[in-house]
Order: sequence, then C-alpha cells, then structure tokens
Amino acid sequence: MSIVDVVRTLPSNRMVFEVRRDMSLVQRFRDDLEALMTAYGLGEEEKAAFRAQDLKHLAELGVHPYFLTQITRLFHGSARNTQSSAAIQAYVKGLTGAAE
Amino acid sequence: MAKLVCNMAVAHAPGLTGWLEVATPEQQASLKAGYAELGRLLRESKPDVILGFSNDHLLNLPLDNTPDFCIGTASEWHGPAPWFIDWLNVSPYRVSGNPYVARTLVRELDRRGVAFAFRDDLLFDDNFSVPLTTLTPDYDIPLVPVHMNCIVPPVPSAARCFEVGTKIGQIVREVLPEDLRVAILATGGLSHDPGGLRYFEIDEIFDRWFLAMFENGEAERATAECSFERFLAAGDGGTAELVSWFVPWGAAMGGKARVVCYEPTVAMRCGMGGVVWDQGG
Repeated sequence: MSIVDVVRTLPSNRMVFEVRRDMSLVQRFRDDLEALMTAYGLGEEEKAAFRAQDLKHLAELGVHPYFLTQITRLFHGSARNTQSSAAIQAYVKGLTGAAE
Repeated sequence: MAKLVCNMAVAHAPGLTGWLEVATPEQQASLKAGYAELGRLLRESKPDVILGFSNDHLLNLPLDNTPDFCIGTASEWHGPAPWFIDWLNVSPYRVSGNPYVARTLVRELDRRGVAFAFRDDLLFDDNFSVPLTTLTPDYDIPLVPVHMNCIVPPVPSAARCFEVGTKIGQIVREVLPEDLRVAILATGGLSHDPGGLRYFEIDEIFDRWFLAMFENGEAERATAECSFERFLAAGDGGTAELVSWFVPWGAAMGGKARVVCYEPTVAMRCGMGGVVWDQGG
C-alpha cells in the first residue's frame, strides 16, 4: 500500500475528496451512503468495500491511503482522534481484519 | 525592497491541538515550550504578511488537476473547514489575506519560469489551522497561503522547492514594496504515514538525519538525498510534505537553521518539531 498506487480516476477518490469539503455531503454519507455511492458512479467492488469498511480492499482498488483514515472518521467521528478512538480502532480493524 | 524578517518551518500534525495530552509529559513540555518559542520569534519579527507553504492534503487540489503549488489570492480566509473543526479542536477563526502580495508573486514567478496556480476559495485543515492557532493565536497577521501537492505523485522535488524558495526570496528582496516585512512559514512533517502501514510509527532516525542537515546548512546534500523514495521509506503517506521545508531554506539561500524542538511523538502519529533560520535567512 503506497501513495504511488493511487488510481486518480477511481470514483471513490472523487467522492471522498468532495464529501470532506461539504458538510451536506458528510450528512449524506452518514444518512444514505448507497445513494451517494451511486451518484458518484462507484463500481460494485468499491461499494462493497465501503459497506464493509474494508480499507485494505479500498487501498487495493486505488483509494488514496490518506483518505482511508478519513473514511473511518466519516463513519465513526473525528473528535479526540487518539489511538484508542473508535475511528482509529476501525482503521486497524479495516486494514488488518483484527482490532488491537 | 521588502525584508524577510522571519523564516521558519514547523510540523502541523492535528494531535498538537487535538490530543496533545496523550503524549508523554516530557514530550508535551518540550513541544509546548518549542512552539511557544517559535510563536514568539514569529510574532516579534512583526511581519506584515506570512507566506505559508503547506501540504494541501487533497482538500482543494483535485485528483483530476493537481498543480504543484496553488497560492491563495483572497483578502480574507476562514478556517478550519467545518468537517475538521472537532478533529483539530480549533474554533472557527478568520485571518486576513493579502491579494496584492499573492498576485505579485504569481506575476513575478511567471517571469522566473515558475507557474503557481491561484484561487480565492482555499479551505484549511490542519495544514494552516494548527500552526496559526499555535503560533499566532490572535490570527492578527495576514496570511498568503500556498497549498502544495505533496501526496499525489508526481510531487515537486526537494530541489524544485528549494529553487522556488530562492525565487520567492529574490521577489521579496527585489520586487515587493519597501518596508514590507515578510515571514515565510513552511508547515508539514516530520516522519508520518497517515493511513499507511507505518501509521503508528515514527522514523526518528530519519527525522534526526533530516534535521541535522538543516542545522548544518547542508542544502546541496539534502536536496540530493531527500528523494521522493527516501521520504516514502520514512512514512509513505505524509513524510514527503517535508518538501515544503525546502522553500524557506531556498529563501535563506541554504543557510543553517536552528532546531527549536523535536519530539518523536508516537501518540500523535507524527514526528513533531520546528526550525528557524536566524535573521530571517
């Protein structure tokens, strides 16, 4: 997993890029992720990886690694983002399949 | 001729404002003292404007069109972008810009073979919010932000950033109006790997090697040895934002910097610290 493996044209990357810039899209991400993913043209593999919060697979598909932790924060919140926070624990689980 | 009154580079990781209390007491004390010193030096230099250089973090520069540098031309900036407020634990703030200085830099860099993109709607995350609230908590010094592409390869090289810095220094000294007091503030680094396999590690050996070259004024060596691959090895997802530090180094014409503080703060998932070039380089 490396930033050199990013697929810039991947719809997931555009979706995450735009969501973080717009709180109404953040709300849509939380309320109706399925519709949001469809609106951005995500493929079935990307959608399934988002549903499962499978960060490892998202990285394999070409999602920018920098977005992976932000995806966990979209799902689990951002405040006090210490190693024991829900978002960081979801990152560990999403990348390795096992919480610390 | 304008004057470069302050020239510094600092790490901007969100843990500094968001969760510093989980670092060791010694690290907390060191960083608090170090950033207080950096803030004092910046404020006491009485700059009329800060030229800020930092990683865009894929917040403004889209993946379908990612310039190396994009300068902000607005007369006023607001931060942090809403989604980042609770992450950073930084309250909303307003800071003035300086469209005249920004546009002058665009024009003069064009004439020197460097094309900066420009726009007036940049959003800030930790890149400028953490340094501003820490170093200039009254947000009373106008900021001209330059957002850099540091994490979507290909990214500008250390040598390229050093060259840009030398040209910025020339423009400050030779073109900007007499009596204008200018500070350059690069933000980013040190070793970290947000979202990557070394997310919970700090490459302290790399950080100390990197800082020592600044301390020794070894700019030629650093521009040669700080390759993109070397940055990736020290933390794939973030360490390359240290190319921003080569801008003030270029403006300082490769002079020696002073390391004000450094801590390998695992709890913050980022090596933290800052350097300053004395006498503004």
